[in-house]
Amino acid sequence: MAASMKCAWARCLSTILLNSTKHRCQISQPLYASCSNITGDSGNDEIIFRKGEGGTDQTRQEAGPADDTKKHRRDPGKAFTDVRVQKILLRLTGLDLDKVYEYRAAKGAGVAKVALMSDQQLKKVYESASYKALRKLQMPPVLGAREPIDEVLSEDPELEGLNTSKLVFIDISQRVPLKKRTIVVREPNGTLRKASWEERDVTLQKYFPQSGRKIGLPRMFQQDNLECMLDDGKHEYILNRACSQFEIDDPEYIRVTQRTYEHIDGNGKFEDLRSTRHFGPMIFYFTYYKKIDKLLVAFLEEESLEDSLDLVKLYHIVHPSCKSAEKVASMPDATPLEIIRAFAEMDATQKSLVQQAIQTYEKECDSTGSTQLRR
Amino acid sequence: MALAIRFALFGCTNRPFFHIVVMEKRRAQRSGKIKEMIGSYDPMPNQDNQKLVAVDFQKLQQWLGFGAVPTKHVAELLGLGGFYPIHPMSYIKAKRKRKLMEKQPADMQAKEETQETAAIQVNEDTQPDSTEDASQ
Repeated sequence: MAASMKCAWARCLSTILLNSTKHRCQISQPLYASCSNITGDSGNDEIIFRKGEGGTDQTRQEAGPADDTKKHRRDPGKAFTDVRVQKILLRLTGLDLDKVYEYRAAKGAGVAKVALMSDQQLKKVYESASYKALRKLQMPPVLGAREPIDEVLSEDPELEGLNTSKLVFIDISQRVPLKKRTIVVREPNGTLRKASWEERDVTLQKYFPQSGRKIGLPRMFQQDNLECMLDDGKHEYILNRACSQFEIDDPEYIRVTQRTYEHIDGNGKFEDLRSTRHFGPMIFYFTYYKKIDKLLVAFLEEESLEDSLDLVKLYHIVHPSCKSAEKVASMPDATPLEIIRAFAEMDATQKSLVQQAIQTYEKECDSTGSTQLRR
Repeated sequence: MALAIRFALFGCTNRPFFHIVVMEKRRAQRSGKIKEMIGSYDPMPNQDNQKLVAVDFQKLQQWLGFGAVPTKHVAELLGLGGFYPIHPMSYIKAKRKRKLMEKQPADMQAKEETQETAAIQVNEDTQPDSTEDASQ
């Protein structure tokens, strides 16, 4: 119960901040080079996308069901950056100041300051700490895997034999964004081509090193070692390191994060990531790939109806053509439990599990004599 | 004095490393009179069998505008990188090496490359004045 009370408080805090005029529901600012194509305008409730390759301006793009075939692979990024999705994810993540400002044994971690303050001063400090904490909770975006670079600039077979090694040219001009830096490779057979993503990452790290990144794949992310780490329960550490090591649309990043989320799902340890910046992307991953059953059950077991409702609403936003979404659209006065039940009946993959959880929740409700939205 | 974009050999014994610099053509490269460093070229291949070349192309173009002239080897390298058209000497060297390869085994190829590195060093050090005769 204590855990759910804490969750409730965390959720309350984040909702207050969301609704306050100071805070704007910002899409994660381009902290990552991969996100340079995505902007958010928090003033209006719309997302305006810059023109992608061959695309047009889109507003409130709906994301269809996940289809993993290579040709028609949908980009989860479009669904992820929807304002409604972002708001729900932020609300679900919550804001547990104790967890966000937890002491981490790291370089630069200072000694805590002790100060004598009045109530008013304390309130101000508390508020500013909460806003700063929201920055720490900025979610690394969920994007589709990047398309391989496959561009040949010139073919010169007459240069065959000049070199036995590749010549890699990088442009080190000042003030050019990393993503736009030109890197080309002259092969021994004379072909001049653009460098592949892997070559780019390695070369850029050599000439423009980013802290926390290693050249090449750290051994931690190899499959066997990753499994060891996951069994030790180091989910947050793995996700944090993956964030700093890889670009967000790197297939390796996607592999590592998705494996971590699956492991969490397998062990039901969703609360490990609560009030961290990875909670939102994890929820989104399960929603996008239609695997929210265990998560929903976990929320119901915690007896937080609002979280469960938010999850189902998120599902309906990401998959607007699903059966329960249509049914819920036709019942405008549905209670939260009815919405969740509709989802359980029509779209849950583990129907019995979810329905049982709903029943248990209702029993708990009855036993404590309250049928309103409970915390 | 002629302003040149040239290699400046650094590194140590058996480990050459070139900085691509703007300096006067006749000066000794380690005299400390480099006007600006605009890149590097590592002639020794790394673990991925790559030779890394970094060039600040903005600066390069600025200096070319000032009237700096790339040396032969720098021009060759930039040709391979796609900034210039491919230097005729690149084609000629490639053809010569292919001929050699037909006659001799692969380890001679490596020998040719080390000799070429030495040639770059000598070139940048001694700065022959006259233009070489066009080879076949």
